[in-house]
Amino acid sequence: MTQFLLQTIWWVPGYALLGAILTLPWSTGIVRRTGPRPAAYFNLFLTVLSFIHGSAAFILIWGQEPQQLVFHWLQAADLDLTLTLEISPVSLGAMEIVTAISLLAQLFALGYMEKDWALARFYSMMGFFEAALLAIALSDSLLLSYGLLEMLTLSTYFLVGFWYAQPLVVTAARDAFLTKRVGDILLFMGLVALSSYGAGLNFSELADWSETYPLSPLTSALLGLALIAGPTGKCAQFPLNLWLDEAMEGPNPASIMRNSIVVSAGAYVLIKLQPVFTLSPISSDALIIIGSVTAIGTSLMAIAQIDIKRAISHTTSAYLGLVFIAVGLGQVDIALMLLFTHAIAKALMFMSVGSIISTVSDQNMGEMGGLWSRMPATTMAFVVGAASLVVILPLGTFWTVQRWVSGLWQVSPWLFAILLFVNATTAFGFTRVFRLVFLGEPQLKTRRAPEVAWQMALPMVTLTVMTLLSPVVPLRWSLWLSTTTPLANGDTLLIRLALPLLVLSGGVGVVLGATTQLRRGGWVRPTQVSFRFVQDLLAYDFYIERLYDLTVVSAVSVLSRVTAWFDRFIVDGFVNLVGLAAVMGGEGLKYSSSGRSQSYVLTILVGIGLLFLLAMGWTMNWSLL
Amino acid sequence: MLSVLIWVPLVGAILISLLPDKPATSLARPVALTVALGLLVWTTVLGVQFDPGQPGMQFTEYLVWIETIGLNYHLGVDGLSLPLLCLNALLTVIAIWSSDRTILRPRFYYALILLLNVGVSGAFLAQDLLLFFLFYELELIPLYFLIIIWGGPQRGYAATKFLIYTAISGALILASFLGVVWLSGVSSFDYEPLRSQTLPLGAQTILLIGLLLGFGIKIPFFPLHTWLPDAHVEASTPVSVLLAGVLLKVGTYGLLRFGVGLFLDAWVYLAPWLAGWAAVSALYGASCAIAQQDMKKVVAYSSIAHMAFILLGASATTRLSLLATVCQMVSHGLISALLFLLVGVVAKKTGSRDVNYLRGLLNPEKGLPLIGSLMILGVMAGAGIPGMVGFVAEFLIFRGSFPIFPVQTLLCMVGTGLTAVYFLLMINRVFFGRLPVELANLPRVQWGDRLPSVALALLIIALGIQPNWLIRWSEPQIATLVTDYGQGKALRESLPIAAVLNAPNVPVAVPPSVLPVAPIEN
Repeated sequence: MTQFLLQTIWWVPGYALLGAILTLPWSTGIVRRTGPRPAAYFNLFLTVLSFIHGSAAFILIWGQEPQQLVFHWLQAADLDLTLTLEISPVSLGAMEIVTAISLLAQLFALGYMEKDWALARFYSMMGFFEAALLAIALSDSLLLSYGLLEMLTLSTYFLVGFWYAQPLVVTAARDAFLTKRVGDILLFMGLVALSSYGAGLNFSELADWSETYPLSPLTSALLGLALIAGPTGKCAQFPLNLWLDEAMEGPNPASIMRNSIVVSAGAYVLIKLQPVFTLSPISSDALIIIGSVTAIGTSLMAIAQIDIKRAISHTTSAYLGLVFIAVGLGQVDIALMLLFTHAIAKALMFMSVGSIISTVSDQNMGEMGGLWSRMPATTMAFVVGAASLVVILPLGTFWTVQRWVSGLWQVSPWLFAILLFVNATTAFGFTRVFRLVFLGEPQLKTRRAPEVAWQMALPMVTLTVMTLLSPVVPLRWSLWLSTTTPLANGDTLLIRLALPLLVLSGGVGVVLGATTQLRRGGWVRPTQVSFRFVQDLLAYDFYIERLYDLTVVSAVSVLSRVTAWFDRFIVDGFVNLVGLAAVMGGEGLKYSSSGRSQSYVLTILVGIGLLFLLAMGWTMNWSLL
Repeated sequence: MLSVLIWVPLVGAILISLLPDKPATSLARPVALTVALGLLVWTTVLGVQFDPGQPGMQFTEYLVWIETIGLNYHLGVDGLSLPLLCLNALLTVIAIWSSDRTILRPRFYYALILLLNVGVSGAFLAQDLLLFFLFYELELIPLYFLIIIWGGPQRGYAATKFLIYTAISGALILASFLGVVWLSGVSSFDYEPLRSQTLPLGAQTILLIGLLLGFGIKIPFFPLHTWLPDAHVEASTPVSVLLAGVLLKVGTYGLLRFGVGLFLDAWVYLAPWLAGWAAVSALYGASCAIAQQDMKKVVAYSSIAHMAFILLGASATTRLSLLATVCQMVSHGLISALLFLLVGVVAKKTGSRDVNYLRGLLNPEKGLPLIGSLMILGVMAGAGIPGMVGFVAEFLIFRGSFPIFPVQTLLCMVGTGLTAVYFLLMINRVFFGRLPVELANLPRVQWGDRLPSVALALLIIALGIQPNWLIRWSEPQIATLVTDYGQGKALRESLPIAAVLNAPNVPVAVPPSVLPVAPIEN
């Protein structure tokens, strides 16, 4: 039984995919009689099934040796491509989180999407999405992971573009796809190069290969950068970070998944690729630089947003930036742990935000206020989620960061400064959101705001409890790859002071957020010029989007127009000119009517015939010789 | 056995054109469809009986035709031509199926489609240079008429342009064929004996350049491509399907069969330039496609970009890359056929292909939701998203070519990235957004219109998930294409490509089989 459950572990993503495929008749609108509900229930049922199967397998694998499942996918010439699944406590643990959050998000969607006519389509896409995520957790092959990341790109495109009739959604879906695709293509280049350099494409083989393989510094640096690019797009890191912000136009249950486990999937692949980054110092430096820039930049962007979803989603990029730094420093278990605590807390925050949006029917925080007494469960969820992301109270991130700063590794001052900064700004931002949404006088839209229905409340409360319990998980199931030393062993002053300083920075953030002046009633900009400039700068994401429009986008567009012009007037024009001169003798080809052109055909056929005869003549002469 | 593929459609075409006047409108289509389905079944039978393990031509038929000029009726099939024959049979069925039921002059139309099938099958089967040329020329006559009679408003211009281009292409190919026979002193145009010719490199190069230009027009590569967008725009949907799906493949097939097969030394000598040409062509096609406003033109330019990958794979001449070219031919055949079919449905229902006019067609009640979904699938397949056949082909091509031509391969991969850009722009404009009022009362799409697209889509996914079904036919056989004859080996090792292989940036630990087949054939 044990072996059976483990050997059939690939069914777990299979269930979700099966749900997506079998409900296609509903989602494409072929079956209408029953309404979309059966499709939703069926997908939900299959997610429950994968949760049960996954949990059973997780309990069984605990304390056992990792196993592998190998599928021979393609054998062509000398190339033998295998798709490998890893059955280990870590991979099954990752899968467990994915199934849990996905189950809760889908239950949540039952309430959130209740009145949407395309409920069936939504669930099909979620099934597809979930299948790809689950398989990434299991995958032990870069090729498979690449394919799955592309599946994620595709399903993000579908889910962001779910309400495709809205103009903002159209651009958001396009940008999400293209931004991720840039990263994916670079990753694809890295994949092809790795495979050509004789590396096996399984992660374990890659680790061995990177220890022994001599590559020129330039090649290994480029290779590392190419491999980083994929996760950079997926985890919404600078310079490919804007899609996540725009993707907030999509339905909220998908945002729950996207901000917690989808971004983590990219980082998970990054963690698995970490041995390759040791080949070149440039790639680990790049990881640290990308991570730092994103962490600082996006946590600043987050504090100036007026859209509640965007205000939270920018912090996702910031936390993933910390994960990038951890991977760049080679501290993979810290990275994994950050992902875990972040995923759960962020999913909870997005559930809370989803409840608010579904009740208020608005995403503008300036039009909210006074919700705390009206929606207590939602308020609770928000507070717990925010508190476990920020280092103030002994919840999720607190313990993770404690391990980070008191671990075996020497924490360099700059990293500590970044941590302090991110912690303070995030605390500031969350406090600001909390005040705008939950405190103050109720506004027009928040006056009649009942707590959400059970389909949304149940998963939200469950996740609140889970978030509160999440610090216990590393104690009970220490999946982490190495042990950490306790707090007392820190020998330098910095490390002994680190945690109190972090808590202090969080406190400062909260106090500043609580005392700063709030502006309600839509988009009110400050009167002071310098203040206004800073707020605009942050609210418009440092104008990065405009910068892209002016550089990359316009370059491609101008280039394509020039090429098309060249094609039409130079290449084709030349041809027409020759045609004009040689064939028509003055009459334009364009003006030939079909009646006349038949005579040209005749001419040409006769010409070919003559040529053929000539050829035969040549050959005959020659063969007679 | 193979003659059936040539003579049955020919007899079918004659039969259709001799049908009596009255029931012709109702009979021509079923008869054509029956013939095409019969051919599909027969090709499948061939595929089942085909032994992939045995290299060389199978089911050969040999008949001396005109001895004095060395023309023989010599047919055969191997791992290179079999997948293309299947593609031809399948797409002919689909083209006939998706032809307009109320088409004008049905007898002539269906007879021409079958005739086109004859020409293409013959070209894939011919084992004699002159015979190949005859079929190559034969196939352009029906296509010319199909464009000029049932085409769009500018059909005269497009068809004439097509004819002139292809006639020049034919002339160049014929000249090369004559040259090789004349120079090497063989007594017939038979393919296999000619492969052992030992012409000096200079002569080979000149002859190869003739072939490259000739087939380069047909495939087409930049800057020989301008007939293609015009022909596609003016041709009706089924003709576009055949043109993109099968006819372009005759060019790449010829390039592999005769360019690589006959002039391997010169091919390897020119290979770096060819790979560079492929990169330019891919980027140029992609870049043009971004700026197009007509859906058919977008797909047409994407064909130019994707066909260039075949040149890249062929220029690397590793076993893997040559195998990959076959995959890419099949994959492009299926995907472009699907896209043209769908664009055809959109044009039929809305009366327009203008991306600036069409909008919101995904609308579930009044739009074309299923066609839109299939279009997204086709577009994603074209952009090389894993899980579909386009990814397999492109991955194998890039993986096969990267060790030999890293820079050119990376440039072509940029081209793949651009595919997503132009296709996504098209999808976003046409299918997303709000359905405008003037498009709100579209006629319903019948299942008959959907069926061929659904079938192609399923095939694209099936081959993408299980590519072994595609590869097993060609794998053991494709290597014979680069088997060494005569002086080849020593010469090839002195060429720049050998230097590339020994360069420090190519790792020492590459398994020997990654290297091009040529140096290790001994």
